[in-house]
Amino acid sequence: MIELRGVSKQFEGKRKVTALENVDLLVPKGELVSIVGASGSGKSTLLNLIGGLDRPSSGQIFVDGQNLTGISDDDLTRVRRDKIGFIFQFFNLLPTLTCLENVALPLHLRGWTRAKAHERSRELLELVQLGARMEHQPDELSGGERQRVAIARALSIFPPIVLADEPTGNLDSHTGAEILRLIHDLRDRLGATVLVVTHDAKVAESCQRTLTLRDGRIIGDERRG
Amino acid sequence: MNEANARQKAKGKRQKLQVRNRCVSTVLLPFAFCLLPFALLLSGSRCLAQDARTIIEEVQKRNRTASQRYEGTLQVIDNKKITDKRWIYKRKGSFGESKSVLIFTAPAEVKGVALLIVNHPDRASDQWMWTPSLERERRIAFQDRSTRFFGTDFSFEDLEERDAGQSDFKLLGDDKLDGVDCWLIEARPKEAKQSQYTSVKLWVRKDHWMFMQAESYVKDTLARRMNYSDFAAVQGIWTARTLTILDARRGSRTIMRLEKLAYNEPMKDDDFTIQALRREGS
Amino acid sequence: MILLRLISWPYVRKHLLRTMLTTAGIVLGVGVLVGMRTANETVMGAFQHTVDKIAGATQLQISAGDTGFEEDVLERVQSVPGVRTASAVIEAVAATDLPGQGNLMILGVDMTGDRSLREYSFESGDEAVIDDPLVFLAQADSLMVTSEFAARNHLQTNSRVPLRTMEGPKQFTVRGIMKAGGMASAFGGNLAVMDVYAAQKVFGRGRRFDRIDLAVKDGYTVPQVRQAIQKAIGPGFTVEAPTDRGAQFESIVAAHRISINISSVFALLIGMFIIYNSFTIAVTQRRYEIGILRALGAGRGQIRTLFLMESFIEGVIGSAVGLALGMGLARGMMGQIGGLIESLYGLDQPGNGVLSADPWLLGASFAVGVLTSMFAALLPANEASRVNPVTALQKGKAQEISEKETRLRGWAAVIFGAVAAGCLVFGAYRFIFYFGFLLTILGALLLTPTIALGITRLLRPLLSRLRPVEGALAADSLIQAPRRTAATVAALMLSLTMVVGFGGVAGASYHSITKWMEIALNPDLVVATSDNLASRTYRFPASLGEAIRKLDGVRVVQDVSAPRIIFRGKPILLVAIDITSVQQNAPRRPVQGDETTMYREASAGRGIIAAENLAELQHLRLGEVVDLPTPAGVLHLPLVGIVEDYSDQQGTFLIDRTLYKRAWNDDTCSLFRVYTAKGVSPLEVRQKILDRFGGQSKLFVFTNQELRNYILKITDQWFGMSYAQIFVAIFVAILGIVNTLTVSITDRRRELGVLQAVGALRNQIRHTIWMEAVTVGLVGLLMGLGLGAIYLYYMLEVLRRDVAGLRLGYEFPVSIALALFPVILGAALLSALGPAEAAVRGSLVEALEYE
Repeated sequence: MIELRGVSKQFEGKRKVTALENVDLLVPKGELVSIVGASGSGKSTLLNLIGGLDRPSSGQIFVDGQNLTGISDDDLTRVRRDKIGFIFQFFNLLPTLTCLENVALPLHLRGWTRAKAHERSRELLELVQLGARMEHQPDELSGGERQRVAIARALSIFPPIVLADEPTGNLDSHTGAEILRLIHDLRDRLGATVLVVTHDAKVAESCQRTLTLRDGRIIGDERRG
Repeated sequence: MNEANARQKAKGKRQKLQVRNRCVSTVLLPFAFCLLPFALLLSGSRCLAQDARTIIEEVQKRNRTASQRYEGTLQVIDNKKITDKRWIYKRKGSFGESKSVLIFTAPAEVKGVALLIVNHPDRASDQWMWTPSLERERRIAFQDRSTRFFGTDFSFEDLEERDAGQSDFKLLGDDKLDGVDCWLIEARPKEAKQSQYTSVKLWVRKDHWMFMQAESYVKDTLARRMNYSDFAAVQGIWTARTLTILDARRGSRTIMRLEKLAYNEPMKDDDFTIQALRREGS
Repeated sequence: MILLRLISWPYVRKHLLRTMLTTAGIVLGVGVLVGMRTANETVMGAFQHTVDKIAGATQLQISAGDTGFEEDVLERVQSVPGVRTASAVIEAVAATDLPGQGNLMILGVDMTGDRSLREYSFESGDEAVIDDPLVFLAQADSLMVTSEFAARNHLQTNSRVPLRTMEGPKQFTVRGIMKAGGMASAFGGNLAVMDVYAAQKVFGRGRRFDRIDLAVKDGYTVPQVRQAIQKAIGPGFTVEAPTDRGAQFESIVAAHRISINISSVFALLIGMFIIYNSFTIAVTQRRYEIGILRALGAGRGQIRTLFLMESFIEGVIGSAVGLALGMGLARGMMGQIGGLIESLYGLDQPGNGVLSADPWLLGASFAVGVLTSMFAALLPANEASRVNPVTALQKGKAQEISEKETRLRGWAAVIFGAVAAGCLVFGAYRFIFYFGFLLTILGALLLTPTIALGITRLLRPLLSRLRPVEGALAADSLIQAPRRTAATVAALMLSLTMVVGFGGVAGASYHSITKWMEIALNPDLVVATSDNLASRTYRFPASLGEAIRKLDGVRVVQDVSAPRIIFRGKPILLVAIDITSVQQNAPRRPVQGDETTMYREASAGRGIIAAENLAELQHLRLGEVVDLPTPAGVLHLPLVGIVEDYSDQQGTFLIDRTLYKRAWNDDTCSLFRVYTAKGVSPLEVRQKILDRFGGQSKLFVFTNQELRNYILKITDQWFGMSYAQIFVAIFVAILGIVNTLTVSITDRRRELGVLQAVGALRNQIRHTIWMEAVTVGLVGLLMGLGLGAIYLYYMLEVLRRDVAGLRLGYEFPVSIALALFPVILGAALLSALGPAEAAVRGSLVEALEYE
């Protein structure tokens, strides 16, 4: 499902910073993978590269069989739009839109009709147990609720891949656990491949597989039961 | 020029005494053009070295003629831009009661331009200029009389003739000029407003009762000096046939020569009008 | 100061483009102010300079309008005690046929006396002005030119200069060359002196002078002598110091000045909104930074000062650049203003291109620019100083306008509106009227956020129908930042208000002028002395009218004298024409007065007819006795009718020609109006006139259509200047949109990043930005049209009261309004292109990161 071959990423600046160095990785379909590592170890960079938000300095990335190297920005966007759902630490909901509109956003962007997009969004919001909050704006919700909206948005297109960057990082432990359960639940239901970047050992341990990064290299790849 | 001043002074008021009637007009010379006539009759004669006014009156008396005519040339020294001019001059009457006409004949550009001067015994003259190319006359305003006469060292005022009565005279003493014995007389216009000059010093030669030199002053500064020379008796009237005027402020000189002088020819009043100029010009 | 360097400079450097765009508001505001004023002042200054230079030592000038007066006045003046020198003058502008030299200002003087008034410095250095004064006077073709003109045209003494005269083109001979400086510097050296009597002939003046220049004797005061002269020659003459002539000329350009002032105020207001906008945004963006500063111990005063200092520096830079821009603008506009004045008044100003920048104006404009900038930053700076260190360090929204503020604005606007309405009721007083005008604009500005938000909310469903995501996002982005939106909308609204106002005035003017031309300007041909109908250099002898009358195919010839005269201190137009013939051939219904009575009384010379604008400007009432100065004394005539007439901006009187000839003792004509016989082609008659008289006299024959085109051309020129101002205003407003969008995408970088992360294609992002721009444009446009409708009313009032006395019908410029839609929406779209590209460039990762 996801394959990285010799991927490196350097950031140009006054000093050249190597964020990833020669990373090879294969993630099969349906796997739930957590990525851990100290701050600056390259885990977010790895996620951004897989999500097509950024491009590698060298190496190749395949997502669902498609090589991301050398394709146009718009094609990259299409890959994101059609295959990837993002969940961010700070939710990144549009403050002016209602929950329903936020969830429907990716569908609209794909050209869905309003009615169809809203129908799907309602279903998803029900799924994350926010059926009662559909017409609320994000700033009227709690952090956990917002993250659930964000998850619903990430799933709205039924993506084969979900990328989550510290999804519980901004939540208290109780809510975090709830969100974590939700992520597991959804993966089981939708059969998506999920990558979770996290600091939280509990989150990491709950995943089938855990990658450990240090200084831009994968130094550990552990699979559990 | 002095004379001119003096004339001016003399203007008005001649009333009292002397001279009434026939005027005695007089003034000093008309400077420029006109003037020429200073003739003195009889020569010598005794010199009653009386007072200044008597001397001037005697000078005028000897110069009195019924008319005068001459052809003049005018040359501005040291100014090549101003071409020499020729004209015919006619005057009827003498001094304060005279009228004169001056018609330019050369060069071609100014041919036909004429000047009509009507003198008055008691005030400044009236002057008109006739321009054939425009077919019209223009008045030379009194305010403009002190300006230069067409680029020469004369001013329009210097063209007037005035009566002795328009000035006060004072005998300053005897003097010798070019070896000729002269009386030195100072003239001051009685009405200062009517002249640009404050005073005029006149040198009158004792032998012919003629002006030899006139110095005009503005305040105490010499403005113009006129020298009379080339004296000759024409029809028995002593006349200076060359006049040299010096503009002391600009240091430039103009020489005027009189030729073909004739006195007492019959002339008609009609010829001394603007209409006459129009006739002549066309 | 250290804060400025540490805190402000890095921010400015980072947002260099925006800072520049913001400053552009001040640059343009100051630029327009300085440019237009300077151009105006320069033209006026050149005129005054000319008057002064030509006046030389002249202490008083005597004139009787354009008509001139008879020669004997000179002697009367010369004999007034206290007059040292008085010299007659003829002043005319003549066309030369020298290639590229255009017009030559000709001063006809009497060289015998004139030299004590004017300094003629001669090339030779010799006082002998002219090579040979006697030759100069003796030859009617003598001309004295300036050394500058001589050098330009390779002229020497005795060179020939062709001039157009009343008797056709004639060769003149250079007989004197004036040294540069002094009088010779007037008119850029395009000045020549000729004999006054020769000038009479050349310019068809008969035995009349235009003017007498004089100097006062020592021991007399100028006012004393002025009084004595006035007494000696009567009240029909104007006796004034040369400097007063400038004042008359000023009233000619006063109209222009008023519109410049209004435009400048608008330009600055627009600039102010852009700055306000920019600072509000800066404060919002820098809340976090401000919070840190406050947390570190910076006082409120320090924060406020910091922002005010920034605005001060921005104001200084903007004003400085604005001054430079203004000088450039002035240079460009000078020609235009000069051209307008030339065609309106026949005065030519071949300016030497030297701008006369008034240091006061420059200083004041600079100060206004800086103050405007600081004033605009005052509210944002206050807001910044109120930033709470604790909340600032958290995330939050700061852009919202509180309900309280909205309510306050609403009330203030209502009060302003009410007071403005009240001002209209008592609008008879100038001050109250303009105060109401100002309040109306301010009220509209106060309401801008509320109305702009309202309209945007209304547009939102429409936009989301058009493009569900992009439309909604665009509308929301505007709604979300009401201050930013409102300031931009206000700037745009103001500039469009101007467009509607000027467009409406122009439309109404064209409409009225066209209607007037239909009725009043119906002769088939007009015979004039110049291709410039306003030129008063030449005049026709009345005999020419007689001769034209005798031509086959000519039915009626109306002799017209149209001198400018001074009426109550203003140069107005006097049209003397056979009123009976007017009644028969071009009858006009009076606006006030009875038609029959009007024509009967006026044609009998027992009454005068006033143009409506004159009556309005001078508050003349029907039946009132008007005092008309003539060289023979004052003419008392009852006002028997008021008619619509657009001949002159300062106003026009119509009197019967017989009366004019008698009172002014002048039978020369400015032009002839010719009606051809039925069935005869005007072109044929024109050819006849040209064939018959073209050789012996300088004349130009206009057909009716040419005449109309000529008048429309002048009208175009007049409004052309307004169009230039409008153009600038729109440009500034568009800059405002660019600025807003640039800021908006910076503000929303993260939001746009999210959009892209969840799958928005670049085109979708672009469309959002474009729609945002178009929406701002649309809102500004709608509000501009609304305020413009009100503004137009005020403009028409200003025009009627203070500019031209014209009572123009209110007519909303629908076609202009319609044309504005594509223009403004297109411009808005265009202005969005750059920001939209900026939005899709750049790293997504960074956009999504937190600072």
